[in-house]
Amino acid sequence: MKNTAAVITVKDLYKIYRVGETKVRALNGVEFAIRRGEFCSIVGASGSGKSTLLNMLAGLEKPTKGEIVIAGEHMERKNENELVRFRQAHIGFIFQSFNLMDTMNAVENVALPLTFQGMERKKRTKKAEAILDMVGLGSYKNHKPTQMSGGQQQRVGVARALVVEPEIIFADEPTGNLDSRTSREVMELMQRVVREKRQTLIMVTHDNELAGFADRIFHIRDGKIIKIEEQMGRETG
Amino acid sequence: MRFGDLLFMSAASLWKRKVRTILTVLGVVIGTASIVVMVSLGLGLNRSTMATIEENGGLTSIEVREANSYMEGDSTNQEPKRLDDTLVETLKANPHVELVSPVLSISVIAKCGVYENQLEIRGMSGEALEQMGIPLASGEVPVSEDELAFLYGNQVLAGFMNSKTGAGFWSDGTIPEIDFEKDAIFLIYDMDSYYNSQGNSENNGQSVKPPKKYLANYAGLAEGGMDTYKSYSWYVYCNIVPLENHLKRIFKGKLIPGQPSTASGKPYKQFYYNEIYAEVDDMEYVGEVQKWITDMGYQTYSNTEWVDSTKKQYGYIQAVLGGIGAVSLVVAAIGITNTMMMSIYERTKEIGVMKVIGCDMKDIRTLFLMEAGFIGLIGGILGLLFSAFISLLINRVVAGMGMEMGLSYIPAWLAGASVLFAVFVGMTAGFFPALRAMRLSPLAAIRRG
Ligand SMILES: Nc1ncnc2c1ncn2[C@@H]1O[C@H](COP(=O)(O)OP(=O)(O)OP(=O)(O)O)[C@@H](O)[C@H]1O
Ligand SMILES: [Mg+2]
Repeated sequence: MKNTAAVITVKDLYKIYRVGETKVRALNGVEFAIRRGEFCSIVGASGSGKSTLLNMLAGLEKPTKGEIVIAGEHMERKNENELVRFRQAHIGFIFQSFNLMDTMNAVENVALPLTFQGMERKKRTKKAEAILDMVGLGSYKNHKPTQMSGGQQQRVGVARALVVEPEIIFADEPTGNLDSRTSREVMELMQRVVREKRQTLIMVTHDNELAGFADRIFHIRDGKIIKIEEQMGRETG
Repeated sequence: MRFGDLLFMSAASLWKRKVRTILTVLGVVIGTASIVVMVSLGLGLNRSTMATIEENGGLTSIEVREANSYMEGDSTNQEPKRLDDTLVETLKANPHVELVSPVLSISVIAKCGVYENQLEIRGMSGEALEQMGIPLASGEVPVSEDELAFLYGNQVLAGFMNSKTGAGFWSDGTIPEIDFEKDAIFLIYDMDSYYNSQGNSENNGQSVKPPKKYLANYAGLAEGGMDTYKSYSWYVYCNIVPLENHLKRIFKGKLIPGQPSTASGKPYKQFYYNEIYAEVDDMEYVGEVQKWITDMGYQTYSNTEWVDSTKKQYGYIQAVLGGIGAVSLVVAAIGITNTMMMSIYERTKEIGVMKVIGCDMKDIRTLFLMEAGFIGLIGGILGLLFSAFISLLINRVVAGMGMEMGLSYIPAWLAGASVLFAVFVGMTAGFFPALRAMRLSPLAAIRRG
């Protein structure tokens, strides 16, 4: 497969937080490129800068210095409005704590990003239902988040990230609130879906075993990438 | 986002926080209701005043009188400027004056069987009589200049008294059995002779021949009962031309009662009028025309000054009342702002998530503005209903006190404006919270909790 076109390019990325007098170097010169359709996981100790990196890639935070080019566009040059628009079109996001809307049922939750895009009700409901079928929640369409298990909720979260058919999906510890068996199921689901649709998935995790689902593993320590691990036998993606 | 989705989402989020929404709405209800009730009171007062003014001769008519008729005693060297046909013609020439009619009024004694009454006859031009627009219960306006016929005011009947028993409407409430159209009513124009003849027969025994009685032709009767007072209720109207001719015939060169005389006590050849009635084309010019006439040396009356001063007065009352309402609405607005701020604080995370999954900043702002607007709308509508109810109560109470028109009046524009205003207040109150929600950093939002 020719996957050489980089969908994400990061150059010389720094993020320095100022806390009183002291400076915290959350990211201290990071450089990498991710190809389209790749599944990458980011691992590292707590406080190493994983979330910071992911948030910056998703345009939720501005870098102190450096370049982030996603799908040919410079994230660091966009204002907040443009970033929202960009996320609408290109990015899906999966949260650790699911962050579903309590008042909405599964279909409405999944359809929410389409609602924001201005898609009409019938169309978006149809799409959301199809995605829910795909993640195996066909019979939970009308359930509210409070009526579902954590694993089911996260499947809804995954479905919501997928519904806009984004090129890139970010997930910050998507299985952090799930037990290990459910975590594996969700991981398998994500892996299968992004493979099928050739979507790029970037996932932050603590768990080395879960990180193993990825094509590449970025090891990060003190704001620096110390090692990029290629997973053998997964290049077929 | 689509407008419908925005509406639905903001309504849903209000619904989710029902109790708080209801409490916030309550503030707006009270604010709106107080404004509406207070303004409606002002409007109602204004309306009933206007109605009273209409009853008293409308807004465009001017009454012209002799300048110093009330201090005739000391105007020894100066003849008062009298109201004559020349003045009528002068007034007619003014482009803003639509209609001019001399008014010749004369008191007569009316007799109908045992009933007797002193009537005030007002002779006017047929045109003016028609213009007055007196609603008729029967008959017609006496426009004919050939025949003398009378139009009776609706309360004239109440003045007739049984000359034998003294019974009458004002003394014991019995309505005299007189049908102006069918019964023969006789008028005695020479009242002095009449009283003389009566007085002499009692005191001196020296009989004076009573004056002649004349049969009064019926023209019409004004609509209305004994209790409805209008400016015309007490008068008997007739056309001035036959009246003048009739009077000349009766008095045959003698002084007609009410007419001025020369220094030597002789009557004048022409008639002088007690009053001239002029109708101006527009309320706007009443003041101007009035000044013009006053400058010529006459006295004028119109309702304009009264209207202006009452309007101003009610304007103040309304401003004060409305102000009280406005203050309560401001308090309600602060309540809305507070509620919205709390709501945003609570929903920081939700807002952050929405931003991360692609909700436009302006949609977030719109969502919150709509929520605040909804609070205003619901509060405004409920407040309006509430004030309509209060208005009804007030009108019930004052109706019991004899004000049939009602004190509180809510016209459609007030209803519409109050709801719009409540929405506006809600949205204004929600504006800064909405901006704040829009500017929340998505990151700070998702980090929380
Ligand atoms: N807003 C902030 N202000 C100051 N320091 C911050 C801020 N956000 C992150 N940091 C610091 O930057 C560093 C990296 O934080 P980050 O959240 O990226 O860690 P992480 O690798 O995601 O950790 P974890 O696995 O616990 O989630 C930490 O030392 C943290 O204290
Ligand atoms: Mg983290």
